[in-house]
Amino acid sequence: MEQVSVAISKKKLWEGGRSPYNVSYGKMMMWFFLLSDALTFGAFLISYGTTRFFSAVWPDANQVFKSFPFMEGHNLPLLFVSLMTFILIMSSVTMVLAVHAGHYGDKNNVAKWLLWTIIGGIAFLSCQAWEWTHLHSEGAWWGSFTDVTTPVNTFSEFFDLKKESVSALVNVHPLVAMQATHDFFNYFFTITGFHGGHVTSGVIFNILILVNTVNGTYQRRGHYEMVEKIGLYWHFVDLVWVFVFTCFYLL
Amino acid sequence: MSAHNHSAHDEQFYYEGDQSKLYSGLMSHHSDINSDESKAQVKKIWRVFWLLLVVTVVEVILGMFFSHSLPKALVVFFFLALTLLKAGYIVSIFMHLGDEFRDFIATVLIPLFLFVWFIIAFLADGSFWLHMNNHTPSRTSVEQRSN
Repeated sequence: MEQVSVAISKKKLWEGGRSPYNVSYGKMMMWFFLLSDALTFGAFLISYGTTRFFSAVWPDANQVFKSFPFMEGHNLPLLFVSLMTFILIMSSVTMVLAVHAGHYGDKNNVAKWLLWTIIGGIAFLSCQAWEWTHLHSEGAWWGSFTDVTTPVNTFSEFFDLKKESVSALVNVHPLVAMQATHDFFNYFFTITGFHGGHVTSGVIFNILILVNTVNGTYQRRGHYEMVEKIGLYWHFVDLVWVFVFTCFYLL
Repeated sequence: MSAHNHSAHDEQFYYEGDQSKLYSGLMSHHSDINSDESKAQVKKIWRVFWLLLVVTVVEVILGMFFSHSLPKALVVFFFLALTLLKAGYIVSIFMHLGDEFRDFIATVLIPLFLFVWFIIAFLADGSFWLHMNNHTPSRTSVEQRSN
């Protein structure tokens, strides 16, 4: 493609009426929207990090996230979130396969892979609903753990008490630990909620383009660029999850 | 899309009307999803899938069994490096950014470098607050009273 910029002089290329980057308006604007969305998510995650850095103690992911549906009582750290991650990566693959089929104008394959993507998205949201419900049953929610009379054992289970420095702090300054628990869950529900909102709207967009695909709208239009644009959005949601996964569950 | 070799004339001609035709409409010459080119692309997608899966499994194993025994800085470094590796593959292959013009890639990526400073500045601020909280008498006395 470099030849193009040589054939049309560089100056003329930028004088309007041409696409210097060979990207359509809609696709470029989707990229810029995602860029702004990345800044929003980044701001959330960085403020989470800032709060974590100014807290003397912080809940341990292996203690908070150790449950699996129908396996209550077993200590299974990170297993459920791994399943959620797998589902989201899988739905990203089905989405990129839908985009690929769109490049070839293959209506049936676009519809098939979009359907799988929607199923993956709904499966992810169901997992998230279970995880939220489970944490809620353990007393965690927005604004929870603010009452100074809360017994220590209701939140000490979220900390890695095997570590001496942690258990000492939780026992000596339970309110510092409770404040950290409060902050942790506020951020957790806000950020995974904001991400889940993106997944939800992504599923809705996918349903809309699936309907359009099946109706032959894109076939008549001659291209499946809309699938590509929604695909960008969907992959971005997966991309955000990669960072949410690292910040909340791993670090 | 570097894989398509269109002439400058085509570019100009099709650009005049519907911009999106530039992308995958009239400009796309491939039509058979069972062609070798198509199959190679699908193979590449699945290769990236397996890579993302393996990296995630490595991360989880590291998080489950080694995050408390290895030095903290080393674990954090591994997690961040693996995260950026995954992000790179998703953006470059799944989002096809790697197929765009170099200047467009730069347009999208350069603003993200703001994060380098955001992260350093805010985390440093967070640690300073912790330092102040631990060394300010009034704060300590409040904690003791409420306990």
